[in-house]
Amino acid sequence: MYQLKAVDKKFPGVHALKAVDFEVKRGEVVGLVGENGAGKSTLMKVIYGAYQPDGGEISIDGRAVHFANPRQAMEQGIGMVFQEQSLIPNLTVMENVFLGQEAQFVRFGVINRRAMAAATRRQLAKVKLDIDPGMVTADLSFAQRQLVELAKVLTLEERVEGDLVILLDEPTSVLNREEVELLFGLVRELTSRASFIFVSHRMDEVMELSDRIYVMKDGQVVDVVTRGASDVEAIQKKMVGRSVDKEYYREPRQKPYDPSRVLVEMDRVRFPGRAAEVSLKLHAGEVLCLVGTEGSGREAVLRTIFGMRTPLAGRVSIKGREVTRFSPRNAVEQGVGYVPRERKIEGIVAGMSVYENMTLSQMRRYSGAGVLRTGEEKALARDWIKKLSIKAHSEFADCGNLSGGNQQKVVLSKWRSGGSDIMLLDHPTRGLDIGAKEDVYDMIRDMSDDGVGVVLVADTLEEAIGLSHTILVLKDGVIQQKFDGAPGAKPTLFDLLHYMI
Amino acid sequence: MMDFQRIKPHLPWLTLVVLTAFVGIANPTFLAPSNLLMLAGDIVPLFIMALGLTFAIYIGGIDLSAQSMANLVTVIASIYLASMGAFVAVLCVLAGFLFGTLSGVITTKLKVPSFISTLAIGGVAFSLAQWLSGQKALFMDASQRDASFGWMIGRTGIIPNELFLAAALLLLCLFIERRTVLGRALKAVGAGELAAAASGLNVARYKILAFALSGALAAIAGLLFSVKLSGGAPTIANGFLLPAIVAVLVGGTPLTGGVGGVLNTVIGTLIVAVIRASMLYFEIDATRQQMVFGLVLIAAIALTIDRSKLRVVK
Repeated sequence: MYQLKAVDKKFPGVHALKAVDFEVKRGEVVGLVGENGAGKSTLMKVIYGAYQPDGGEISIDGRAVHFANPRQAMEQGIGMVFQEQSLIPNLTVMENVFLGQEAQFVRFGVINRRAMAAATRRQLAKVKLDIDPGMVTADLSFAQRQLVELAKVLTLEERVEGDLVILLDEPTSVLNREEVELLFGLVRELTSRASFIFVSHRMDEVMELSDRIYVMKDGQVVDVVTRGASDVEAIQKKMVGRSVDKEYYREPRQKPYDPSRVLVEMDRVRFPGRAAEVSLKLHAGEVLCLVGTEGSGREAVLRTIFGMRTPLAGRVSIKGREVTRFSPRNAVEQGVGYVPRERKIEGIVAGMSVYENMTLSQMRRYSGAGVLRTGEEKALARDWIKKLSIKAHSEFADCGNLSGGNQQKVVLSKWRSGGSDIMLLDHPTRGLDIGAKEDVYDMIRDMSDDGVGVVLVADTLEEAIGLSHTILVLKDGVIQQKFDGAPGAKPTLFDLLHYMI
Repeated sequence: MMDFQRIKPHLPWLTLVVLTAFVGIANPTFLAPSNLLMLAGDIVPLFIMALGLTFAIYIGGIDLSAQSMANLVTVIASIYLASMGAFVAVLCVLAGFLFGTLSGVITTKLKVPSFISTLAIGGVAFSLAQWLSGQKALFMDASQRDASFGWMIGRTGIIPNELFLAAALLLLCLFIERRTVLGRALKAVGAGELAAAASGLNVARYKILAFALSGALAAIAGLLFSVKLSGGAPTIANGFLLPAIVAVLVGGTPLTGGVGGVLNTVIGTLIVAVIRASMLYFEIDATRQQMVFGLVLIAAIALTIDRSKLRVVK
């Protein structure tokens, strides 16, 4: 029914989609999996019209179509349920559901709110959501908002002739198990009205819901698996291109940490907006991993250690000294380094060169009386470019033009060259290709060898398990459970999930 | 579009060359060295103000108080020259620096956007100028002025002395921009404020310094202007602000900050000078000057702004 043939998409320096064939049949649920950077989101954007392919063909029922924007795709029945929710929080549910489609309720220039509410109720019934259409969206729970979003897309049913294709982008990432079940039940029922494309990094869920699964790697579809024809491990192997083994996370290089040297201690720390208290210790040479869903408080811990947030109560000590003034500047002076999740926004300064980025956190060390010694800065940059084999034409290269992996290496060398021995890593491998990920894993092991304490928020649970000495599972700002992650005695995915949700 | 992106960095000086050639062909006398030097000398107060504004715009802010600051300083200089002599210059620069600091503190600590905070501080400066001057035009004693600041205005050979002052300030600003921790920090704040903060930089302090520099340079511009005119008044520098902003933006320091710098402002100011002179040659009435600069400003921003850095425009 909906078909892509040999679709190609290039960006400067990246061949994001390479001759991708993709098909959705009527009433089918199609899964789409792949590592970060495999091309999933680019493919999604081509499907719902946000990107226009450079080559290939899109057709619906054999008829070639072209979408200049998402609106045109919607008019052909392609709807998108956004991961980071496209609802406007200060509007009511019905205003959101019919945003941009109000004309049908307008009489003499005024919106007939009663008609709109009734129509909204009909839409909400499709997703079995019984709420007042006049409610302000911000008052809904996350799961409810997700359903409203789905209801909004389902209005296409009345507006569009022909079949619907609905894209679900990571719809379960913040839902608990029951909510996930509810959503899946709903999707199965709705297959009588629409086809679905389901994108998720939770392999078990994709296997559970999908009739067929497209596996992507490096911008290509490497396999199409029908339900029941393969297991999680086989698919994972195809995603990564080889078997994911202990070698991958450098487990043999994991050495015991030094329990006598405490670098960071949080003692009954309370964060703004949370009732619970958090206590933890980070030791020299330890990789401490914080595991939990979005909003579980992982970020609050990192940002507090880095001084970007001030806790309400409790004690934070860095190397035995209690922190009295929370500011990134103080933290940096104490030897704390921070590799933020938003690499391009908080990690590097695009428009500044490699050497300017590397010394940004330590200009005092490379200046006298406020005047920079640029010669020394450049020498430092050349040194680290070589040490971490950063692919940049020289120390003058604009950091914004480097690939993600090399940008991350610049951020890491910024801190490591300054001698930071407490490293906070927030999703350090997000969006990196496999080779670059392995480089980061190696660097983490190097840091442990040097006695650096690492607090890690990993991109996947597997990564968290593979890399860490200690795992703390957080939920709603509370540490639920602590796991020891010595090589050979690591907890399983299931052990962690049990405490996460 | 690819090609336009490639020439974009060269647009300022290409514009300057084309404009100069255009006016020069229409009026060959324009290109006479003595005429060019005179034009350059006349534009120096505006240039100094634009130099300061460059710092405010380089960090992604704006300083709308520059003109009122210059107005205020013409009044201060005219009043206190008699009692303080050459030291009045220190008072003037200090006043500019402090008012700029105030704008910076309001912007960073109270989170008032700089276009509002500097507009408000400009209002304060303007009122202060009105109050100090008693709403009258003030005059400097000619001999006192020449004794203290005569060196600013005469000529050395055929070169107007203002140009030496301009060159000295330019070198100072260039040094700050390219060689100091402050300059590097301002670049980082302009190009990626969040990354600068996440590197442990005291972003607020550097932003405040940018506004303080802008205020101090606006004050020097005001001082030079009052020395040239041998007097001051609370509205005497009106008409400076728009061309000064034009000079910075046309020179290639965009409103979003992070790129460009003081050398770009040299080009931008020269473009403004040529436009101004050409209006004389083409007999465009002086009252239409601001209209022309307004249109140039809109055109320059529309052509060059980096829309990827702006999510929404309000």
